[in-house]
Amino acid sequence: MAKPRYWSVTEGPLVLPAVLLFTAVYLYPLSRLVAWSFFTPGFSIRHYRALFAEPAYVTAFVNTFDLSVSVTVMTFLLGYPVAYLMTTISPRARAIVLACVLVPFWTSILVRTFAWMVLLGRNGLVNHALAALGLVTTPVALIHNRIGVQIGMVHVLLPLMILPLYSVMVRIDPAWLRAARSLGARPRQVFLHVFLPLSLPGIGAGGALVFLSSIGFFVTPALLGGPRQITIAMLIDLMINDLLNWGFGAALALVLLVVITVFFVVFQRALRLDRVWGGAV
Amino acid sequence: MSRIALWAVAGAVLGFLLLPLVIIVPTSFSASAYMEFPPRGFSLQWYRNYFTSRAWIEPTLLSIRVAVVTMILSTVVGTLAAFGLVRGRFRGRRVLEFFLLSPMIVPVIVFAIGCYFLFARVKLIDTPAALYLSHSIVATPLVVIIVGSALRTFDRTVEQAARSLGAGYARALWHVTIPLLRPAILSAAAFAFLTSFDEVVLSVFLGGPAATTLPKRMWDNVRHEIDPTITAVASILIAASIVVLATGEVLRRAAERSRTPAS
Repeated sequence: MAKPRYWSVTEGPLVLPAVLLFTAVYLYPLSRLVAWSFFTPGFSIRHYRALFAEPAYVTAFVNTFDLSVSVTVMTFLLGYPVAYLMTTISPRARAIVLACVLVPFWTSILVRTFAWMVLLGRNGLVNHALAALGLVTTPVALIHNRIGVQIGMVHVLLPLMILPLYSVMVRIDPAWLRAARSLGARPRQVFLHVFLPLSLPGIGAGGALVFLSSIGFFVTPALLGGPRQITIAMLIDLMINDLLNWGFGAALALVLLVVITVFFVVFQRALRLDRVWGGAV
Repeated sequence: MSRIALWAVAGAVLGFLLLPLVIIVPTSFSASAYMEFPPRGFSLQWYRNYFTSRAWIEPTLLSIRVAVVTMILSTVVGTLAAFGLVRGRFRGRRVLEFFLLSPMIVPVIVFAIGCYFLFARVKLIDTPAALYLSHSIVATPLVVIIVGSALRTFDRTVEQAARSLGAGYARALWHVTIPLLRPAILSAAAFAFLTSFDEVVLSVFLGGPAATTLPKRMWDNVRHEIDPTITAVASILIAASIVVLATGEVLRRAAERSRTPAS
């Protein structure tokens, strides 16, 4: 039987406005980076050579990587218990916990980072609390150093870990856990040998999301970090806005883009991310 | 016992998440001339400062304007794209989908540099137009995801019923499909608005004295001199996020209800 006529309208071309907008304002500008980094004005790879010649630039890459790995590990350690708790409580309690995760998530990054500047300052609440507890006698430096950036970034990125973790955990069939229990496993064993392995895709997705976001993160490291925590993103800002070295800034941005793409492809292959959060359409 | 430990750990983490928001609000009502916590006395001085200072109000109005234009542009373009991606059957669909979602992975600073070169060439640096266009790129993927996932679970039989009763394609779309998708589209629009309203990096790179958004104003403030007025701004923004988020949540629930067939 022939298909009825009313099926015949094709909706594929509706993507065209988006594709046009993205080609003009997104793909084209990103491709201009290539030109800027290689032709200033004649073809040369001096910007790329400078990247590896100057130890300060290499340090920025090391800093970025170090920061991203440590932030990813910390968000996992803090996020896992929250996601796990959400799977074990009543829908009403879960909605409250979810709100506690989503409200900070949708609050401006600038507001949250600024609040940490206030909290972690020499006269901030954290230093007062540490002094009141007798842990320190003089205020400790908590911003413009590594710990400050880490606290701020973990705070900003934690929801990106909790949400994919929860979405995987909530799909774990409780029958598996019951089966393990009925076979004599203790709660600890059920968790370690059944629940934890089944939640691995969530750990992978959350970890990948946090790691990829940290690598290109600008606002929080720029405000909470010190001169020793220069990241690639901060270096780009420095080149473009302060030193007006556009070519080198473009080269750095391009390298950052390539690094992110490589990590994304590796994660995608290894973790099948599209099953968890990609491929949403 | 282990449940108590779980609650304690998770509770501490949730406290950590809420702490900055909880701290900033009381600070904004301080009567002191400096920023301090716990605040001394009560006053509305920083709010008065905010509402009477052109240096704060003009960026706020620009931010609202940019967010509204971005919301309209990205919601229209993103919703159409979601239709094309979910219902279209063409080669390269996965590639296009990846293309339209990729701004979520590309660091904003990299995109901002690219835009900087483009807009410098066409003399759009420091204009609202640069912000409309660039913010729309960052907001559209969200719309594609939210509307796309509503569309995938959409029960097409109601649309086909309308068609078989004689409605043309456009008529069925306008009177049946769009109203059923309205909650998803509205919540996507709310998130697009918020994404633009909070966007810092693009505004810092592409804005300037003539196009200063609220986040750019706050950025300059935090980087150079700290004027405690920012605590009032921050509190207002926290309240705004809660309102937008609550609205989005109400709409999302409405969307879920409308999607379950009323058998």
